[in-house]
Amino acid sequence: MKRMQTEILVIGGGATGTGVAWDAALRGFRTILVEKRDLTHGTTGRYHGLLHSGARYVLKDADSAVECISENRILRRTHTHCIEDTSGFFVATPEDEDDYPDRFVAACRRLNIPCTEIPAQAALRREPLLNPRISRVFELPDAAADSFLATHATAQAARQAGAKLLPYHELTRLHLSGGDGNRTVTGATVLDTVSGEDLRIDADLVINAAGAWSGQVAALAGVEVKMILGKGVMLATNARLTNTVINRCKMPGDGDILVPIHTVSVIGTTDERVAAPEDLPIEQWEIDLMLTEGDKLVPGLSSSRILRAWAGVRPLYQETQQSGEPTHDSGDSQPQELPEQASPLDSRDATRALALLNHQQRDGVRGLITITGGKWTTFRLMAESAVDAACEQLGVSRPCRTAETAVPGVEQGHYWLGHRLNEVEDEELQSELICECELVTRSMLEGAAQRNPTVTLDDLRRDVRLGMGPCQGGFCTYRAVGILHELRAGDSSPVAAEWNVAHMQSPAHHHRDRSETEVHAAGAELASDPAPDDDSPQRSAAVDPLSAVSQPNLLLRDFLQERWKGVAPILWGQQLRQERLDELIYLSILNADHLPVDDRESPLSSFYRSDSSLSGSGL
Amino acid sequence: MLDLLVIGAGLTGLFAAYTAARAGLRVRVIAHGAGATHWHAGTIDLLGYVQNGEEAVANWAQALPELPPAHPYRLLGVETIATALGEFQRLTAAAGLPYERLDPDKDILASSASEKRTSQKEGPGQQVDQVKLGRNGQLISPVGAARPVYLAPTAQQAGTLHDDRPVAIAGLAGMPDFYPELIAENLQKQGRPARSASLPLRQLTDRRDHSPLQLARLLDQPAAQAQFAEMVVDVTAAGERVGLPAVLGLNAHLRFLTKLHEAIASRDPRTSQPDGGREARLAVFEIPTLPPSVPGLRLDAALRTQLQRLGVRVEIGMEVCAFHASGGRIHWVETETGSRPLRHTARNYLLATGGILGGGIWADRRGRVKETVFDLPLTAPQTRSQWLRPLFLDRRGHPIFQGGVPVDNFLRPLDQAGAPVYDNLWAAGAILAHTDPIRERSREGIAITTGYAAANAVASGQ
Repeated sequence: MKRMQTEILVIGGGATGTGVAWDAALRGFRTILVEKRDLTHGTTGRYHGLLHSGARYVLKDADSAVECISENRILRRTHTHCIEDTSGFFVATPEDEDDYPDRFVAACRRLNIPCTEIPAQAALRREPLLNPRISRVFELPDAAADSFLATHATAQAARQAGAKLLPYHELTRLHLSGGDGNRTVTGATVLDTVSGEDLRIDADLVINAAGAWSGQVAALAGVEVKMILGKGVMLATNARLTNTVINRCKMPGDGDILVPIHTVSVIGTTDERVAAPEDLPIEQWEIDLMLTEGDKLVPGLSSSRILRAWAGVRPLYQETQQSGEPTHDSGDSQPQELPEQASPLDSRDATRALALLNHQQRDGVRGLITITGGKWTTFRLMAESAVDAACEQLGVSRPCRTAETAVPGVEQGHYWLGHRLNEVEDEELQSELICECELVTRSMLEGAAQRNPTVTLDDLRRDVRLGMGPCQGGFCTYRAVGILHELRAGDSSPVAAEWNVAHMQSPAHHHRDRSETEVHAAGAELASDPAPDDDSPQRSAAVDPLSAVSQPNLLLRDFLQERWKGVAPILWGQQLRQERLDELIYLSILNADHLPVDDRESPLSSFYRSDSSLSGSGL
Repeated sequence: MLDLLVIGAGLTGLFAAYTAARAGLRVRVIAHGAGATHWHAGTIDLLGYVQNGEEAVANWAQALPELPPAHPYRLLGVETIATALGEFQRLTAAAGLPYERLDPDKDILASSASEKRTSQKEGPGQQVDQVKLGRNGQLISPVGAARPVYLAPTAQQAGTLHDDRPVAIAGLAGMPDFYPELIAENLQKQGRPARSASLPLRQLTDRRDHSPLQLARLLDQPAAQAQFAEMVVDVTAAGERVGLPAVLGLNAHLRFLTKLHEAIASRDPRTSQPDGGREARLAVFEIPTLPPSVPGLRLDAALRTQLQRLGVRVEIGMEVCAFHASGGRIHWVETETGSRPLRHTARNYLLATGGILGGGIWADRRGRVKETVFDLPLTAPQTRSQWLRPLFLDRRGHPIFQGGVPVDNFLRPLDQAGAPVYDNLWAAGAILAHTDPIRERSREGIAITTGYAAANAVASGQ
């Protein structure tokens, strides 16, 4: 078995885990991160993309609200290009309580969250599709965030600081030494899901940042962490309905957030308590509820074309009395609002504040820290508290630097919707488009495939938004498979040594890079900071002919099924018609269901096959 | 007064109009849009797979009993299907876009056909001649799978997998809709000798739209043709046939195809030599691409030209918005125009608006599934939870796409009680119930045969 040694081992490649790796590496710790799938595969990649101002929680969860506004300000500096500065409206509709807005304003003031009331007519001029019957509108510094890009940028920052990130490495065992009452976690065994080989990692300290999977990770050390898993269902519309983040000005509930993110608007969410973080059914009533509630914000939303539905799981945590002393004291109490059956807490009412579990104090297990709870917005703060605790356990004092350190790409400024189109037009890249819906060019795809240890088209979807538009992979699935296959068949040219994740989404940058006509200057300041060896571009598993996942027929089949999972719950009207065109392409023209049979499976085949998203199906 | 108003201008509507016009009826076609002909592969897929089919159907006539009893093919019967396809071949030959069968053994059968026919004259006449029916052949899909196909246009004929010549798949470098390496590799996995080659597209054009349609327009130009032919010859080895993306021109692709063949043959005398007593086989063939489909556009143009010759008008941009019926008959339909509704009156009406893809059937969020013109009864499940299966590639297909308009043996739409809804209304094509033309790979077969049968039913006054 291969063996590695490190100071800090991070479990989980979502926003939090990646943030922890970045923070720890910046503080000079030797750091390894393992993630069982691709970075952002969990909740990070399944949320609505809202950078909270905190206002949503001012009356319900003041701690979380304070964390949000403070982190909101920091992330705008450290992750500028991952954020679209949309600003946010909180709107009072006729359905909402009359006295809420006044209480809301007072609470915002108390918590120092900038809140400006603007005339409803002025808001409607800015957002003409908003419900004309709104009575009051407040503007707050909410924004839209690209959690995929932000995590990749954080990951690159972590790598540049010396951390090693291992996606597709699944934790199978935590190693412990010592007897009862004196146990210490000494490392872990992980399974490389692409090669099928085990890897033993010895670590001075393990930080459990597995989000909704934290309970499962802690259990491997014999420690109980009872997560409150709140499933949220979200829908994407095929166009942006507003350019501002819209919240209902009321106690947080279902379907009361509308976030413009890239080319779509996302309406969310539900909050259903679930037992496990995977196999998340999307019920028909949840879809209908999102649409009905969405109509209250933007009348007619329910008849707009819906592209896709998905569910993420909030990793909420509230320490219960029986399992040791509370590590987090929630300021406000809501038990009286709880429905009687809720046990022990309804996920809507669980705090969104972060929870740091020091298992040495809590359970007598040294060498393990769990960081959970929180919001995407507070991932950096979560990382900071986790690494602070790590310093304490390791007996060193090293200050956190993440709040003052920008990740690669911030020089681009805030994200703006037109950037891809602008580049495609400026550089005349029309013939290079592989995905017309999302303006993904061939070189972006090649760049992502060569430079990422990526294994599936689904990874490319997260990296460059492949297949996220109205046709949901109808045209680009075939093209992407063809291109990945070409990369493998040909002797794929060595990739440029200098690779900046910030340009992952830039059509023009890759084109220039590929045609070798221009030495890009954008990463110049990074070049002065020589990247460590293991940051050198990795050969993609999809490009490695020996890898199971390099089978083009498998890539095709998996991605078609992956897309199906997301569209099946929302197929009606035009989108059903679109799906029939996709059937025409993949069955009638390509005969993709009768390709030479290959029994091999990718690490994700069974995941895509899971029929949970169609639990409402009677078939 | 029109004898027949056809609603829908896909393959179904156009071929029905052709059939009716040839039977002497006064016909007009109105349609909202151009139909799905522009999207399909340009071949005539008759019946590729039956229920849960792993294996492709070889002998379609023998596979018919495996279809549901109310399947359109079973309503029509083998004889009608075969006749309709023969008529389609006659039309396409007349239009200069001949479609031929792909049977692996059609030549052997052809040699014995004359004797058989003689003997059949004295026979009971019920048994249908296998020679007349033919079998499915197999063509190469754009991902290298074997497509079960019944009739193919000349340009796709040499791609048949029942041909032992090795294949070179040549693509245009940078064309987003065609991947020769992928095709070649999948052919190899199926035991077919194949390799791939890449032609430098940028030498042909500096235009930035590389869609199949734009490339076909480019290859309508003599200069581009000459240059392209040179590139193809360069990558072809002796004894090979070359598979190219289906972009060899819109206007006169057969002439270009011949030119390409001759250019290759002049370099390699073996190519043009007769093989086993057959006539020289083309050394070049087209493989369909992602939509828009150049072979589909050619077929659409051929059908329209023939209709024009017969004096049949095809009006696109006319969506039916209202109709009037009484006494069990439809009296008129109205279409939208810029100023006021336009009324169309005819003795008979043929509904050929397609299924969910064509727009003949609309399914909404509440789970209602509606026929969009006459609100006819449908067999589709009226509950969303009954529409779809958990796996996209489930061989049984998705129930929502199998629902449609139930009809009698004359293709008249039926009500719940099983009686014709209107005495002068017929339905044909993808809108029909009990078939899933995309899963079955029967899209064009259903279109041609039911369009033909409905037109004949109208003509014979059924």
